Amino acid sequence: MKLLVCIKQVPDMESRFRPNSQGIWFDENDLAWRMNEYDEYAVEQAVQLREQVGDSAELTVLSIGPDRVVEAIKKSLAMGCDRAVHIRDDHAATKDPWQIASIIAAYAKGQGFDLIFTGMQSQDRGSAQVGVTLAEELGYACATTLVGFAYGDGTVTAKRELEGGIKGVVKLATPALVTCQLGLNVPRYPTLPNIMKAKKKEIEVIAVADLLTEQPLTATTSFHPPARKGGGVVLEGDVGVLVEQLVGILKDKTAVLR
Amino acid sequence: MFLELTEEQKLIQDTARVFARAELEPVAATLDQSDDRTPMLANLKRLAELGFMGLNVRDTYGGAEAGVIAFSVAMTEIARACASTAVTVSVNNMACEVIQAIGSEEQKRAYIPKICSGEFAAASFALTETCAGSDPSGMVTTATDDGDAWVLNGSKIFITSAPYAGVFVVWAVTNKEAPKGKGISCFLVEGGTSGLLVGKEERKMGQHASATNELVFDNCRIPKSALMGKLNDGFRTAVAELAGGRIGIGSLGLGVGLAAMDHATRYVTERSQFGQKISSFQAIQWKIADSYTELEAARLLLMNAAFRKEQGKPFSKEASMAKMFATEAANRACYQALQMLGGYGYTRDFPLERYARDVRVTSIYEGTNEIQRVIIAREILRNFA
Repeated sequence: MKLLVCIKQVPDMESRFRPNSQGIWFDENDLAWRMNEYDEYAVEQAVQLREQVGDSAELTVLSIGPDRVVEAIKKSLAMGCDRAVHIRDDHAATKDPWQIASIIAAYAKGQGFDLIFTGMQSQDRGSAQVGVTLAEELGYACATTLVGFAYGDGTVTAKRELEGGIKGVVKLATPALVTCQLGLNVPRYPTLPNIMKAKKKEIEVIAVADLLTEQPLTATTSFHPPARKGGGVVLEGDVGVLVEQLVGILKDKTAVLR
Repeated sequence: MFLELTEEQKLIQDTARVFARAELEPVAATLDQSDDRTPMLANLKRLAELGFMGLNVRDTYGGAEAGVIAFSVAMTEIARACASTAVTVSVNNMACEVIQAIGSEEQKRAYIPKICSGEFAAASFALTETCAGSDPSGMVTTATDDGDAWVLNGSKIFITSAPYAGVFVVWAVTNKEAPKGKGISCFLVEGGTSGLLVGKEERKMGQHASATNELVFDNCRIPKSALMGKLNDGFRTAVAELAGGRIGIGSLGLGVGLAAMDHATRYVTERSQFGQKISSFQAIQWKIADSYTELEAARLLLMNAAFRKEQGKPFSKEASMAKMFATEAANRACYQALQMLGGYGYTRDFPLERYARDVRVTSIYEGTNEIQRVIIAREILRNFA
């Protein structure tokens, strides 16, 4: 069984984001980088399936980006992926979801992956398009926003999260692609011995030019913080009146009180 | 010159940071105030399973083979969350390293995997005595050859982790007639050995979750095979091998200092007085500038000492410099950070008073900073003689 998990390295979300000099994306200087949170769920689920199937399965982790993404790749290898593909691209951040999905599709086509895992979306761009587009390009069945996963006899049973906390269960035959949501699992910490042993695992490096054939379909034209609004509402007066006003606001404007 | 961590070192630092934030920090204040160590022992077990007890230990013995720099950055991250957990981790690592350095193959296989895996909650060093602290060569605990066994008699104090240690590295006098420091040997004594008594626990200023006890040897018989290293060569070993522990304690101090300053710096950007955030006052800014500069210098000294040890170069002077400077910078940082919170810093509603108590001992244990200065000066003067 051939498994693929696609991951993205994103900035730590506690970072202070500044627009870059062109004003179309964030400035990448002085940011701390980590694996996209949803991709961690994808890696964990893929590793669990790899463990379930045993040595007849091979799990490949793939990431597109500059050399720094090797750190995220190595984390995946330490968590239990068997081998890695690094599609080297110093300008991955300026590519649109269509191009990213097409690059992965160009790599994955003909490789015979039975199951592909991706995060539901990335924490930085958040388009949630790459997984589903990749599935479409490969002609795979696809289920999104998984909060539960089981596999047996060539069939994935996926529990999906719907609006308002409602769950749905979807069955899909392989080859298939699933996108993973918070709540699917608790990603393991990579152990230190496994971090060190991951050094010996193969990382295949492919230049993005060898896989990229598509032009972008969308273009980001601006990246900026929201305009500063005036200060919040300041309530004044007698305590009893204040409480009534506050309760009124909470009822009208929020879901805290209904 | 390349002042960046490798990808593996970064991943280890990141794993330590994420684990410490998620698992250690939430229980640190409770552990400080409670006699119940259950949460810490559970966390030590999980840290062992992740590989944090044998960072610089070979894979054959269950270690991570991650090196000394990884050990230093991991210690700092763990100490940011909980100094008590951190000191236990540091001591466990040093116990593994000492056994790996001078133990027989049999001893290495018997003990190191148990410390690394967490089967032993901890390992302890038993060196200090009531009248032999900075001058351990003055110890009076004896080990007498009784044919098929060594018999230990005497007592030790300030023994970290004694109530839950699976094995103790014990130093004792084996030749009373020898010149000072030439008649001391090193032994491995298993926890629970008959005649090994864990005595009273010290009531300390800080690092409460880390137990510090007296240890009494009352005709404690241990097998002949318990001798570690060469007979009467134990003191030299103690001096040589324990230098590595200074990197651990310096890194621990750095972690506490950073935790204190990070907390205080966030606070001053939110706290207003005189109609403005107090971070806009120069008096506060200078504390921030001074403390972070000192902590950064400490980090670089620690990295240098760790790098030298990892490369197999002499590192005793550098480890002492790093330990001395880092722990003193961390002490100053904790006090400045506490001051930045004003009255709140003095209350238990904020972690600053705990940081200030926890950090205090770092300039005392693993060799007082006065002794570090003796070592540094001796190493320097040697080149001028």
